[in-house]
Amino acid sequence: MNKKFAVPSILVLLSLFVFVSGPASAQCKLGVPAIKVGVQGAASGPHADYGRQIEMGATMAAEEINAAGGVLGCKVEIRFLDDENRPATGVKNARLLVTDWGAHFTVGTDSSGVAMAMGPVLAELKRIHFFTHAATHRLTEDLVAGKGIKEIVRVSVPIYQDAITAALIFKDRMDIKRWANIGADYEYGYVAWNMFKETLRKYRPDVEFVGEAWAPFLTLDFSPHISAVMAQKPDAIFATPWAGEAVMLLRQALIQGVFDNVQVWWQAMGGSVDVLEGISAEVAKDRFKGKLWATARYIHNWPDTADNRAFIERYRKRWARFPNYSAETTYSAFFIMKAAVEKARSMETDKVVAAMGGMQIRNPGGVREFRSVDQQFIYNVPAGRPVMDTRYPIPVLGDLKVFEAKDYYRYPPFTPVSVTK
Amino acid sequence: MTVRDAHPSPPPLSRAERGVTSRAAILVAILVFALFLLPWVAGKYPVYLAMQILILAVFSVGFNLLFGYTGLLSFGQAGFFAVGAYGCAKILLAVPNLLLGIAGGVVAAGVAAFLLGILSVRHTRIYFSMLTLAFGMMIFSIAWKWRDYTGGDDGLVGIPRAPLEIPGLLSISVAAMDRYYYVVLVLSLLAIAAMHRLVHSPLGLTLQAVRDSETRAQFAGVPVRKYRLVAFTIAGLYAGLAGALLPPLENTVTPPIAHWTMSAEPVLATLMGGIHSFAGPIVGSLLFFVIKDVAMRFTEYWLIVFGVIVVAMVMRFPNGVMSFFEHRQRPAPIPGTVRTEGEGGKSART
Repeated sequence: MNKKFAVPSILVLLSLFVFVSGPASAQCKLGVPAIKVGVQGAASGPHADYGRQIEMGATMAAEEINAAGGVLGCKVEIRFLDDENRPATGVKNARLLVTDWGAHFTVGTDSSGVAMAMGPVLAELKRIHFFTHAATHRLTEDLVAGKGIKEIVRVSVPIYQDAITAALIFKDRMDIKRWANIGADYEYGYVAWNMFKETLRKYRPDVEFVGEAWAPFLTLDFSPHISAVMAQKPDAIFATPWAGEAVMLLRQALIQGVFDNVQVWWQAMGGSVDVLEGISAEVAKDRFKGKLWATARYIHNWPDTADNRAFIERYRKRWARFPNYSAETTYSAFFIMKAAVEKARSMETDKVVAAMGGMQIRNPGGVREFRSVDQQFIYNVPAGRPVMDTRYPIPVLGDLKVFEAKDYYRYPPFTPVSVTK
Repeated sequence: MTVRDAHPSPPPLSRAERGVTSRAAILVAILVFALFLLPWVAGKYPVYLAMQILILAVFSVGFNLLFGYTGLLSFGQAGFFAVGAYGCAKILLAVPNLLLGIAGGVVAAGVAAFLLGILSVRHTRIYFSMLTLAFGMMIFSIAWKWRDYTGGDDGLVGIPRAPLEIPGLLSISVAAMDRYYYVVLVLSLLAIAAMHRLVHSPLGLTLQAVRDSETRAQFAGVPVRKYRLVAFTIAGLYAGLAGALLPPLENTVTPPIAHWTMSAEPVLATLMGGIHSFAGPIVGSLLFFVIKDVAMRFTEYWLIVFGVIVVAMVMRFPNGVMSFFEHRQRPAPIPGTVRTEGEGGKSART
């Protein structure tokens, strides 16, 4: 570069830098250069798609919020970490994000085990974490309502949906009297089955629960579990292995002719995008004979609103995929955080929690309402049968059964649910 | 012949060797001083990371007594780590006394190591490794399945960072992270110093003799199996101590800490640092966490980066990073005193 142009060029560049970067932080009414949001989820291992979807949902939300001027003029900055579905890593990540990177909020977390490990640490770190997948009821019932940890807020629907909704749907099916369980061999599986039995018994004392088989994480061969419960001649199966394991389980059930011998197969979280993609060919050929039922924390074809359709369109344009529920819940968590901070005009935990009191917010998944007693957002999610729809390249849930959230959420005083087999 | 007779006193150190030793002593003193100053000069996260490194260092130093000094590769040390962690957690949940919790965890791990060691040290090489892998995974299964005691896959939550208390004598709160750091630091330094003393003692030298030639050691009258059991139990105690330091730090204990992938961490740290150097596992623990932490900051595909770096390091330093420093610092041999391989050149460097 010619020397006589060098100094003016540098000055122009510097002034451009000041012009571009200066106003953003100067306009931030929270006195910080940016609102930092730490995000984490399982981004490695067999459940990695859920963490990736959390990251995609978070990225898109931050981009949209920033494009619209940020939160009180503050840009949102995110940082994603893989928690490996391991509690120790989740806790370490939370510490890194808050004490090293300086996160003002944290979001995400797939595993209930990771969530329960993080809970007490969040109180120490004094940062709100918006949980967007972990489903154990104990997170909100024990740690928030019981122990008063205000830093825990859950945006996604807890385990109530997998268990109580199933009982509400099938209580009127008088042809189904014998239920068997192929369960995830950890708390999620135990609680879902116990809660389902407890709820169904209230409506149908005549129902029998005839068999149980438990599959630990990373089970590849479900044939012994299937054989064990089918030997009890059940009318219906209640299944809780999820993600790739659910796909594997359903395929092996087809091979073993289960769908010729049962009336219903309830697949908890079978409406997740990764599961629907995995069983797409089988659904297209109607190999489940209309007997497969599924749900998810959010289903991309419901609610049929302009908000949801626009969200799907933007998401597909950005990522060339459909959002699964961990993407929608994470995306929504950012807008909940935005609304709460704008109302509180602060990022302090007490003020943000107070600002969420009575909050009703419209998200792609529908209207969410904040329940202060356990800091749980409440919203409707239906269940249905996986079917092909010409408008979508992957299956959707059809024949939807919609219950009001108030009918399938638990309410205080929370009675203990057995967390054992 | 007694064991002590089998190892005559080493010749006095030359001036150059004394220089290296004194430089190492100064370096260690500076490092220890820096570690004590850390909470004053660093943020919360570096302090937290330092505790993780210290815990892995204790775990790895114990593991290397078995691997580097005794010649037994265990893939089940995470089992004893978990026994220490769960033991400490159960005690702290019942009696909020940190010393009692840590001591209980160490004793529980030592007992478990002794009992499983009786069965394991009957074999060597791959058979020993497979047995320890099986026993480690057995402990993992117990942690996973014995839900009433261990909390199953959800583990034990809400473990308090209880005060350091000797009833009627003292009670110091270590609830703040910075204070607990000093508990971890002091116990880790004591454990490492004790191990340094141990490996240079007749017991340590005997273990190395067992490693180098089991037959020769037997002919010298060494009860090989008993010595292996002692090494196995001590390694278990160290794993237990490392495990017992974890629950007050994380407030939680879950089954993955007993999984074989956790057993791989001291193996990896020791290989990275160097099995033939006392400081190898400590330096390896530092590298393990630093590389992982740095890689995680830059990419979510950190496992690939981490793997590539580890492979590169193992190829560049097949005897560990410490071999590089030892090679640079080793004084030039005095003519006529170089021992050939056939004359025992394979003797362990400590």
